[in-house]
Amino acid sequence: MDQAVLFHDLGVIVLLMPALLMAILGLTALLGRPLSESTMAGITAGSVIVGMSAAIGILILMLITGVRRVPVELGNWVAIPHQHYHFHLQFVFDRLSVPFTIVSFVLVGTVGAFANRYLHRERGYGRFFLLYALFLLGMIVASLAGTIETLFVGWEFVGLSSALLVAYFHERPMPVINGFRVWAIYRVADAAFLIAAVALHHLTGEGTFAGLMGTGAWPEGHAALTPHQALFVGLLLLVAAAGKSGLVPFSGWLPRAMEGPTPSSAVFYGALSVHLGTYLLLRVSPILEISFWLSAAVVVLGLISALFGTLAGRVQSDAKSALAFASLTQVGIITAEIGLGLRYIALIHMIGHACLRTLQLLRAPSLLRDYHTLENAIGGRLNHGESAWENRLPSSLRIRLYRFAFSRGYFDATIDSVIVRPFVQFFQWCNRQERRWTNLLTGTRPELANQRTVVADNKEETE
Amino acid sequence: MIKAAVAFLPAQGPISSYVFYNTLQALEHLPFDEAVRRGADLYHCEPYLSEDRYHRELQSGRITAEDLNSVLLDDLGDLADQLVGFMGTRFHLRLAMLEYPLRVGSEHELRWLISDTDALRRFRPETPPAVRVQMIDDTRRWLERDLSNGSTKVDSWTKQQVKSVLKEYGHDQNDSWNDSTWESVTLQCLWSICLHGARTMAPPSEPEPCPIRHHDLLLKATDRNADGLVHATLIRFCAAFLDQGLASWTLPQRDLGFWKSFHELYKSGRGKHPWQNRLASELHRIDDAGLTIDETIDQLLSQLGVAPEERLDFITQTLLALRGWAGMIWQMETNAEWAVRPAPAGTLKEFLAVRLLLDRLSIEWLYADMTGRHVPAAELRVRLRELCPKEPPEHYEQQAYLLFQLAQIRGWSPKDLAHMSPTTWTVLIGEINAFNNEERRRIYHQAYERRYCDHILDSLAARARLKASQPSKPRPRPTWQLVTCIDDREESFRRHLEEVDPLGETYSAAGFFAVAMYFKSAADAHFKPLCPAVMKPSHYVTEQPAYSLTESARSRRDARRLLGNASHQWHLSSRSFLGGIVTAALGSLATAPLVARVLFPHLTAKLTRLFDGLVQPPAVTELQLYRDDDPPGPEGDHLGYTRDEMAGIVLRILQDIGLTKNFSRIVMIVGHGSSSLNNPHESSYHCGACGCARGGPNARAFAQMANDPHVRKRLVEKGLVIPDDTIFVGCYHNTCNEDVDYFDLNAIPRSHRPQFEEVRRVIDAARLRNAHERCRRFQSASLSITPEQALEHVQTRAEDLSQPRPEYDHATNAIQVIGRRELTRDLYLDRRAFVTSYDPTADDEDGTILARISGAAIPVCTGINLQFFFSTIDPVGYGCGSKLPHNIVSLLGVMEGAASDLRPWLYSQVVEIHEPVRILTVIEQTPEVVLKLMAGNPAIDQQIRNYWTYLVTIDPQTREMHIFQDGEFRPYKPRPVKLPQRSSSIEWYRGQRDNLACAYIPTIPDPVTPKAEVEVA
Repeated sequence: MDQAVLFHDLGVIVLLMPALLMAILGLTALLGRPLSESTMAGITAGSVIVGMSAAIGILILMLITGVRRVPVELGNWVAIPHQHYHFHLQFVFDRLSVPFTIVSFVLVGTVGAFANRYLHRERGYGRFFLLYALFLLGMIVASLAGTIETLFVGWEFVGLSSALLVAYFHERPMPVINGFRVWAIYRVADAAFLIAAVALHHLTGEGTFAGLMGTGAWPEGHAALTPHQALFVGLLLLVAAAGKSGLVPFSGWLPRAMEGPTPSSAVFYGALSVHLGTYLLLRVSPILEISFWLSAAVVVLGLISALFGTLAGRVQSDAKSALAFASLTQVGIITAEIGLGLRYIALIHMIGHACLRTLQLLRAPSLLRDYHTLENAIGGRLNHGESAWENRLPSSLRIRLYRFAFSRGYFDATIDSVIVRPFVQFFQWCNRQERRWTNLLTGTRPELANQRTVVADNKEETE
Repeated sequence: MIKAAVAFLPAQGPISSYVFYNTLQALEHLPFDEAVRRGADLYHCEPYLSEDRYHRELQSGRITAEDLNSVLLDDLGDLADQLVGFMGTRFHLRLAMLEYPLRVGSEHELRWLISDTDALRRFRPETPPAVRVQMIDDTRRWLERDLSNGSTKVDSWTKQQVKSVLKEYGHDQNDSWNDSTWESVTLQCLWSICLHGARTMAPPSEPEPCPIRHHDLLLKATDRNADGLVHATLIRFCAAFLDQGLASWTLPQRDLGFWKSFHELYKSGRGKHPWQNRLASELHRIDDAGLTIDETIDQLLSQLGVAPEERLDFITQTLLALRGWAGMIWQMETNAEWAVRPAPAGTLKEFLAVRLLLDRLSIEWLYADMTGRHVPAAELRVRLRELCPKEPPEHYEQQAYLLFQLAQIRGWSPKDLAHMSPTTWTVLIGEINAFNNEERRRIYHQAYERRYCDHILDSLAARARLKASQPSKPRPRPTWQLVTCIDDREESFRRHLEEVDPLGETYSAAGFFAVAMYFKSAADAHFKPLCPAVMKPSHYVTEQPAYSLTESARSRRDARRLLGNASHQWHLSSRSFLGGIVTAALGSLATAPLVARVLFPHLTAKLTRLFDGLVQPPAVTELQLYRDDDPPGPEGDHLGYTRDEMAGIVLRILQDIGLTKNFSRIVMIVGHGSSSLNNPHESSYHCGACGCARGGPNARAFAQMANDPHVRKRLVEKGLVIPDDTIFVGCYHNTCNEDVDYFDLNAIPRSHRPQFEEVRRVIDAARLRNAHERCRRFQSASLSITPEQALEHVQTRAEDLSQPRPEYDHATNAIQVIGRRELTRDLYLDRRAFVTSYDPTADDEDGTILARISGAAIPVCTGINLQFFFSTIDPVGYGCGSKLPHNIVSLLGVMEGAASDLRPWLYSQVVEIHEPVRILTVIEQTPEVVLKLMAGNPAIDQQIRNYWTYLVTIDPQTREMHIFQDGEFRPYKPRPVKLPQRSSSIEWYRGQRDNLACAYIPTIPDPVTPKAEVEVA
């Protein structure tokens, strides 16, 4: 068979499988004919295995043939010729996307098998697997995307499913509040991403990475931008990546995301979702090369996040938050590596970290037993780092540092008081003015003691 | 004052040693129904199951109309026959309200029902056709004849309403109205009359009480959530303060106590949260004034404007707002001296002080933020209380709708209602109000329980009649005897053992077998108590590798230590900065265990065990059990028991279970426990009588004691002769994966080995059957599974990381039987019974043995039962919700998700198949002796008199039954029921998932069993 056709067909299978899964689970739910647990599990397992096999097939083919970059075109969907805009679905299989795709399949597949038993008899079983399918689709689309618009589509799917999974237990208030918060941060990241995409279009005339990075396959491409343009676009993309990966100052959402069922926390926030931001940076790494200041910003942000993650992780006294901050540390380091241009190392680091963290998060409820086993093996109480460096600090500094870590760097509080509060207050003021105006027009007297008119957004409720 | 409030907090300590107890322990002095109502108010929980659930049970036949009848009659007593207007007796009115699902909902729901469903166009489906036809005819005649020509005596408003209904349907063409139009008209008239009646005639109701805490007042008035602010800070601080070693950086100045360390942490710097702006200055102010903690609380309470007489209530409510953490603080302060970091005395008080301060600041800030004015909390409270609604909420629409539905069922036509006098209206509405939702659920619940109790008692009686009809033959020497724990999960195990080999006998005693000890196994680092949670052991026992294996044991221990240190280092460094890079670089290797564990749990577990086998202590170990030196202690020659103490223990247990003669050659002593992965609640699955720990060592120690010739000699002096050829063998039953491990096999003499092998085969067969019976409950196991597959299935469950239901724990418990095995042998009890062996004929007339047994058994069983009861009734309020988002915190307990109150009690996955019924205690003894038992044990007396358990006695001679009611024993007349007969348990349960009724499973085929009693299979 023709090599190109084989590549194309395999590529289509990789993409089609998650889409098909999503379509089947979504349509049956929409038509009010939910599938049984075992059917859903079977379909999920099938689509993940087929998709993964196809991805591995592509990897083998690439190794055999020495082709390093395989674009798969799925047609032009929107074309606005006089604005020079085409929205075409293009996917790229290269040395960056193929490993990441395979890892996504492995982790999502394993977690699927885990969740099948973990959520057995749960009322939200179908809902979980629907969101799971959406997440898988988003992950695959985002990692294989060949244009920035396609990447954005996958990115949005991941964001939507993540936020909804955080709020999975929607009958309790906290998951909903935290899910909303995750969603709000994602929106900020999305906005930055969109602006960056538009700016790229404006600057280069198209959105494919190929056009952006010249002809070389990742990681050898070179972007055709001036350093200033690169800095501008790059910073926007950095904001987007920081939001998605929970880097400083957006790190507040990471521990909050641990509201959903354990498997979703594991794969989404511990392993895959958090790496999407760094994946974006890797994808556009040719831009980083152009601007020194941009690279420097990436390194600095990465290191700050990593340091903050270490510090905050040390004081967390619940299993899942501790793991969330441990993730942040590594994601920060990965970001710094990308900034330093160590792309392969970053990729290996990312994949290794994702696998390790998934296992740790899935095992989080075993923590008590693990500690007990360790104590027995060692034959005494565990040393919890009492001799650590903090103890050598002067007492007042130690307390201040502890409080900084304990309050999670005050990032959420600062965002709340600097951005959210003025924003909410402004709209409350608008609301009052509008009420006054309508009262004036209709001639009703303002209700005096009605406290409820000042019902505020609940966002400040939590730190 | 704080002590009085503490009683209402959850009494569960660290989760690694779970405690079962009555969730409403603090209200145990009240009768059950009153207590659940109080509890519901206090904790904002449900008192019973939902009305819908009872309706479903009514439809499925789990509750019958007959049960409702009799329970209602008993409940009403003399009041049952009182007439309510022309509406029939009170009994019939109430029964009608119970028998049919009456829809009651919020106002909005009602409006929707009225406007968007055909509630006003069609009769309810339960309305008998005759009633429907008569009601329509009646109304038609009334409307056509009386109302139009004015010969009826109804008030003008009603007339108006009725006319407007008629108009709507086109009054002129009423000749041509068909049946369904008349139906609509009838119902419309009925509805407007009910609505009018309820609105004008309803007796005044009480206004809702005003909440006592500032937070609740503010939330009610403005939707602003002050607790949300406070809890975000306080939860994290409590977690850090109580942390037993999860965080690598411990709270600075923790040793100074809760208040001081909070002070240290928050005294400097402006909080970045605006509501905490004044926190530092307030802390300084209190510190500068040099107030003690009591004075601080006092001052804060005055600042909050709490009057002295409401303080207890206020403090209780304040502590309950974060009850899990407050309860844990109290437990760590008073009951956890063994923990790594117990809390110092007075911590809860300091917690309260911090909480009150934060409450004050948050409430003042929220109000200032809303209105721009700063108002002190005390004044704020007064203002908010004024906003509290003084008028009672109006419920008349709901009442009217209830009436409307009742009228359709009972056949009260619009005409009847329209002619009703105002007094009758008031009586009727009062009557309906009195039998409100809570009261209805109470009656339903009684019926729900009575159905089950009656069934069990009738079955026990039928079983006894069958027994009596069999000729009593002299008992041959049993092939084996086996003593298990009283645990409900061992009921089926025992039954299968007896089915496999009918010539064996089983007994049961509380699973610590009177060996209350601190125990340290060869692989353990610390001693842990193995006895009921209420006891404090004074003896210490250790396990050591066999002397001949000391060398190998040492090298294995070193290997273990090495591996342990390495994995601890890995654990820590995977979370640190630089170490993280290394571990993540190697992280891809984690894929192997990850995928293997999730996809092939059984295989992985086998491999792990293989590997563990290389470093675990050698399989041959010995107990250091014999003590020469006084007093007992944790070291050297102070370990263990003296021979006199041992003889006392052995004598006690054998007397308790009534095994004092006719010993078999082999007596097995079976402790039990469980094993599961990824399960913070693992300890709740272990033996409750061993303080929720694995009870193997107790069985092993007991067997060794009973085998000791010196002990036997002392026993002979006390009158108990154990034949020389009788040996005791300790073993351990894992109730999750059905493994049975045997201890000290080397000590079995050659002469007994063939027979031991025989017993082992019986036990193996019973394991298979038991696994099979358990699998019928697991939806993920097919109903057509074979016993071999079933065993593998339960083994996989125990080894599966992703399994939230490794086993169902005590989820099927419902009764406890204290008596001889004849009472329950050959009776299929569906793993629902705690069975305690007790021989009433060997007891004295004061019931000394009974008192001894019950002292441990009854509180343990009712504790387990009631905790399951409440966690099922309200899985969120009285339980820890779903297991899926659980998050281990401070190594002490679980939170839901990222941050929440600490969640004690049981999770919803383990209670999902539980039938919440109070435990039925059946004692084979005369009422007189049981009364003596109650008199001697106030705790049990209180539980029985307040109906926390039902109590029935069976006379050892006459087999007459007495049930404890209204402070006395009354005879219970069992109904003559036919017990279905099957040849084995599997014949009875095969293909069934739900709870099953009792069945007779004769293990010794008996030709003289009367045919009439036994339904032919």
